[in-house]
Amino acid sequence: MEHNPFKWGRPDDAVYGAYNHQIAEAGVNSLFPKMNTQNPIITGTSVIGIKYKDGVILAADNMGSYGSLMRFSNVERLLTIGENTVVGVSGDISDAQQLARYLDSLELQENVYDNDGENQLKAVNVHEYLTKLLYHRRSQMNPLWNALIVGGFDEAGEPFMKSVDLLGVSFSSSTLATGFGAHLAVPLLRQVIPEDKKYVDVTEEQARKVIEDCMRVLFYRDARSMDKYSMVTIKKGQELKFEKDLVVKDQNWRFAQNIRGYGNAQQ
Amino acid sequence: MSRTTVASEYSAEIQSTPIEHRFNPYSDNGGTVLGIAGKDFAVLAGDTRHVTGYNINSRYEPRVFDVGDNIVMTANGFAADGKALIDRFKNQIKWYKFNNGGKKLEMQSAARYIQQLLYGKRFFPYYVSTLIAGLDEEGRGAVYSYDPVGSYEREQCRAGGAAASLIMPFLDNQVNFKNQFIPGTDGKEKRPFEYLSLQEVIELVKDAFNSAAERHIHVGDGLEILIVTKDGVRTEYSPLKRD
Amino acid sequence: MNSIAKQYTQGNVNPVSREINDAMAELATPPQLGLAPTLQLPPISQPTDFLRAHTDDATNPDCKIKIAHGTTTLAFRFQGGIIVAVDSRATAGNWIASQTVNKVIRINPKLLGTMAGGAADCQYWETWLGSQCRLYELRNKERISVAAASKILSNLVYEYKGMGLSMGTMICGVTKKEGPTIFYVDSDGTRLKGDLFCVGSGQTFAYGVLDSDYKWDLTVEEALYLGKRSILAATHRDAYSGGSINLYHVSEEGWEYHGNYNVGDIFWDIKAKEHSFVNVET
Repeated sequence: MEHNPFKWGRPDDAVYGAYNHQIAEAGVNSLFPKMNTQNPIITGTSVIGIKYKDGVILAADNMGSYGSLMRFSNVERLLTIGENTVVGVSGDISDAQQLARYLDSLELQENVYDNDGENQLKAVNVHEYLTKLLYHRRSQMNPLWNALIVGGFDEAGEPFMKSVDLLGVSFSSSTLATGFGAHLAVPLLRQVIPEDKKYVDVTEEQARKVIEDCMRVLFYRDARSMDKYSMVTIKKGQELKFEKDLVVKDQNWRFAQNIRGYGNAQQ
Repeated sequence: MSRTTVASEYSAEIQSTPIEHRFNPYSDNGGTVLGIAGKDFAVLAGDTRHVTGYNINSRYEPRVFDVGDNIVMTANGFAADGKALIDRFKNQIKWYKFNNGGKKLEMQSAARYIQQLLYGKRFFPYYVSTLIAGLDEEGRGAVYSYDPVGSYEREQCRAGGAAASLIMPFLDNQVNFKNQFIPGTDGKEKRPFEYLSLQEVIELVKDAFNSAAERHIHVGDGLEILIVTKDGVRTEYSPLKRD
Repeated sequence: MNSIAKQYTQGNVNPVSREINDAMAELATPPQLGLAPTLQLPPISQPTDFLRAHTDDATNPDCKIKIAHGTTTLAFRFQGGIIVAVDSRATAGNWIASQTVNKVIRINPKLLGTMAGGAADCQYWETWLGSQCRLYELRNKERISVAAASKILSNLVYEYKGMGLSMGTMICGVTKKEGPTIFYVDSDGTRLKGDLFCVGSGQTFAYGVLDSDYKWDLTVEEALYLGKRSILAATHRDAYSGGSINLYHVSEEGWEYHGNYNVGDIFWDIKAKEHSFVNVET
């Protein structure tokens, strides 16, 4: 029995180990001069997108992974900005939330304060802004660890979709996907739009169907994905349609029994 | 502790040592470019494939740009650096006009200015091979080429980017007639230099890119040729192999 | 408490707006074109290691950014002034980036600088030196001495010592005060006055020929030939040198260009005339 009341209720060295002065004295700057994001922590997997004759469809699931742990299942990775622009974010979720704050203040400044109602922010403008921002951060060696797809309309009001990543590299195509989707979804999407310009031949139904197919294939094969996802449809002359909590339909896992080479099924 | 990123374990919350260089600010987006100067014209051509590693990101992403004042420009290599460089240069042309009553920026001034832009990042280089093409003050075709940190030279022709090593020897032979001799002179008399016509140059460019697309995985999909004459800049597109 | 108060009293410390302002500022600031340019550094603790990791193709042939290099250059003093001779090859790794590089930089009508090492470093800083020399003329109403010009350059590169600049250059010129003068300046900050220098990867081969035939009393014609012949020897034995030879003669009147000689052509002419290079079969 410890008889000194001063020590009552305090952690014992014998149980908790020696006191770590380093942690106590660790100021913001003492441990490292500056700690930038060197690798992502909570991550979101692929974002996929397709152009069709009247607009753009984007989709992303709601998973926030902590390494291989499926940590959060309610993460919204499609951000809307302005009337008809959507940014799909994959990669680090905390950086995605920071991006959301930037986009909020951009919208506030451009669409609310300095605007006479004529020139609303277009997807091209948002994309240019994000490209400059991400390139600026990579040049500071302090990247925002994300890959984004921006969907909406260009200055002429035609469907627009372009991506940008943590290095500030940007490219556009009628079929885009980040992360795992670049390997799994893009071939399926390109089956519908074999040539970039041919997106004008694709109807909303066709586009929607191939996106649903892609989300299913991704759920089958991407271990960091889930079957609950969000999808936005951006269509000329219409309000943007934001569907949440969609579920991957027509799942069929029979193919799994034929997989050989690992697990218990090894023969 | 494993140095490979991405999480196969629950993400390590803190690194035992700060590994600053884990983030690599560079990548390579493939593609190849080519510039040829003629008597009273110049062309700058580039394929339109955009890649990272083995992924084809886009089959049509223009990489040669009309930057104004009858100058065309490309910065091939790491696409984000290329875009940044070209954006800065376009911006500066604008400022040059504001400050000098709308004066045209001459080729040689543009060339020197780009050296300044590239050398300004001598210690954190733009990873690009830069080319500009246009007409000089006498109206002759001009191509200037740069290394990543700004050493430059005016040339008759230059290939840059992924398939530069495939195309450049071909150009030496076909544009500058290197190692060509007049038939019947037993390799004693060199074929004298003469300017090619625009039509010949365009055929040459197409041959060069078709061959490069055949043998280099980072080249293909489409070919965009920007042609500068005294009448302005004109673009020609033709498809390349998409495999 | 203070930090909270500060955050709401000063608009520009809001991290979001600061980020935006930073990005905007980068776009809006016209690049510095002053006479003492500022060069951007990678914002990390070891910028030199960073630069090396990405550009040192000697240590890591797979590094992405290959800076143009390579060379043989020479300059020597003799009774008739100065001879400057250089090759014209630039290499990036094993790739011959160019066979037509101009490695003699005409700083002004009386001054020449040679170029060995990093092509951009030499080209950039020697043209910069040209404007410094012109400013000196305007301020002092007389031409700058070779000693002073070379010192401006050596002081400059010394400021960047250890940062990865790579240049070996000879500043050659004639002034009333000094007569024909050569200063060797390199990126370590070394600055040496001398009669005879060879610089670059092929220097030893050039020295071999130059030293054995060099005399102070050479005629101009002999001296030009010796310069050309020394570079030819270097292009023959050094893989990083080649292309063509550029020849200059510097005298009281200033420098004079003595032409460009394609190595592939003059090699056979000289071999036939001198009966040299007997190791090479015709």
